[in-house]
Amino acid sequence: MRSSAAKRDGIKHAFLWPAFLVVLLISLFPLIYALTVSFQTMRIVPPTPPRFVGVQNYAEILQSGRFWGSMWTTTVITVLSVVLEYVLGFALALALHHNVPGSSLYRVTFLLPMFLAPVGVALIARMIFHPYLGPVNDLMRALGLGNVPFLTEPNLAMAVLIIVEVWQWTPFVTLLMLAGLQSLPAEVFEAARVDNVPAWRRFWDITFPMLLPISVAVVFIRLIEGFKVIDTVFVLTGGGPGTATETLTLFAYNEGFKKFNIGMTSALSFTFLIVVIVFGTVYLALAQRLTRRYA
Amino acid sequence: MMEGRGYRRTGFILALVWFFLSIFPLYFVLVTAFKPPLAVSQGPTYLPFVDFQPTLQAFRDAFAGLRGDFWGPIVSSVLVSVTATALAVLLGAMAAYALVRFEFRIRLLSGVIFAIISIGGFLLLNGLWGLRVPYSMAIVLVLALVVSVLANRLPLPGPVMKNDDVTFWFVSQRIFPPIVSAFALYLLYTEVNKLGLRLTDSFPGLVLAYTAFGLPFAVWLMRDFLATLPVEVEEAALVDNIGRFRIFFGIVLPMARPGLIATSMIVLAFIWNEFLFALLLTSGKWQTLPILLAGQNSSRGDEWWAISVAALFSIAPMIVVATILGRMMRSGLLTGSIK
Repeated sequence: MRSSAAKRDGIKHAFLWPAFLVVLLISLFPLIYALTVSFQTMRIVPPTPPRFVGVQNYAEILQSGRFWGSMWTTTVITVLSVVLEYVLGFALALALHHNVPGSSLYRVTFLLPMFLAPVGVALIARMIFHPYLGPVNDLMRALGLGNVPFLTEPNLAMAVLIIVEVWQWTPFVTLLMLAGLQSLPAEVFEAARVDNVPAWRRFWDITFPMLLPISVAVVFIRLIEGFKVIDTVFVLTGGGPGTATETLTLFAYNEGFKKFNIGMTSALSFTFLIVVIVFGTVYLALAQRLTRRYA
Repeated sequence: MMEGRGYRRTGFILALVWFFLSIFPLYFVLVTAFKPPLAVSQGPTYLPFVDFQPTLQAFRDAFAGLRGDFWGPIVSSVLVSVTATALAVLLGAMAAYALVRFEFRIRLLSGVIFAIISIGGFLLLNGLWGLRVPYSMAIVLVLALVVSVLANRLPLPGPVMKNDDVTFWFVSQRIFPPIVSAFALYLLYTEVNKLGLRLTDSFPGLVLAYTAFGLPFAVWLMRDFLATLPVEVEEAALVDNIGRFRIFFGIVLPMARPGLIATSMIVLAFIWNEFLFALLLTSGKWQTLPILLAGQNSSRGDEWWAISVAALFSIAPMIVVATILGRMMRSGLLTGSIK
């Protein structure tokens, strides 16, 4: 009996292994080679034979101002945009959940931005924020504020990048928070309403704590995804002016495909991986304490 | 209830403002695609027929391939993303099915053995003996897999990982910054190229990369959809001695159709829009639409009508995808499974 059950179970490997092998072969296994490359100097142009240099690449990265600059840029863009996305997205989810007029119309339009290619969104943003030909500066002129050089002034360029991120990814927060809101038990809210608990308190005492776990997850996903940003920056500012808006991924790309310094790019991408793991662990630890305090 | 009404009004205004902010850029790119050059270079214009006379010239120029290949990237984008999505969803659904219906036990120690053999073996073969990178990889992969699978059967000490850990293993691929695996893949593909099997800027190379890219989503989403299916039908079929594969393709997949559609749409959107892998792995023939778009910027300057046409081609399929998903969401199909 047992052996026939085990035999029947054997088929499970045929179901799992294809997916497992593809991910292992394509996503993980190449990392071994890249890891060894990160301890070598290797250049395509001019072609130099690989030479083992130990941790020299990593030491160089940690001493490079450009690395810390791109680290700061990435953190600022990610943190500010995720905070805005969360607040706006949650507010919109609440509005949709309470069926404000026209909410069925909004649902599809709200979804739309996050399904567009970030490169395309960045191209559109480039037109919209153009210093002379763009609608935003048209509005600025109408308000008597004159033309604003959005993409060539460092702080403004950062602001535009954050606006683009928020425009594109707030819908993601809305979608998940709406799903969370719809899964909350209606009875609790009925009882609170009968007891005449004001809406503001209802939100802070009931809705917010109950949605804390999903909020933690949503913010986590957005932080991780935001940290990878390259496409919007690549098109919108190219990392400029100078390197003022260069993100980590863009820095690594430039190092490898403009300077053809392969060993350095490998080392950079692994440094990046470590940064993400450290940030992720710290965030999850903090989030766990926060959730526990409310629970 | 007065104050409740105040919040309601605020919510309504917020939703309305956001609606216009979401729609305006899309409206602007749509009308710009029909603008003659003068309607762009003399400052922003908004209303067709009022501000400017719409023209199809930009579309004609694009299709005629007047400024570089336009069809090439569209064709390769469609071929690559459809094939990779189909593969990722199929393999993902199979893996998800295994994770929902069977129990897996993987000893942590056998995973450690796998890592040690593969890293150590690679250093030995490639570093010391100077064996070519792809050969070293292949030998090490097979060896490490065989040894760790066998090791998993032994009663090794240490924690045992279950199905949830396997799911997490798949999903955790998404936590990786893509530059890490994209660049590693680029290095490996370049090495394989040297053996005469072309993987960079090739259809199989891109499809493989994107299948692996889409798999974490597919496994994660399909697991939730499949977990909601009733097990009784399958049990009845098992009693009748119908094979698992026939059950899976004949009973499970048809029942999970809404989930399959939703998952395919989401994976398709991710692959269609993906930029970094395409940037690193293609150089000409198989360039995808996002690469064409990114190139518009430097090559076209202020020729906004041409840029808009290209952007519209990237956007249009995604409007269909968002509409389908929006409908499914309204009918409650997605909200239940998103948690």
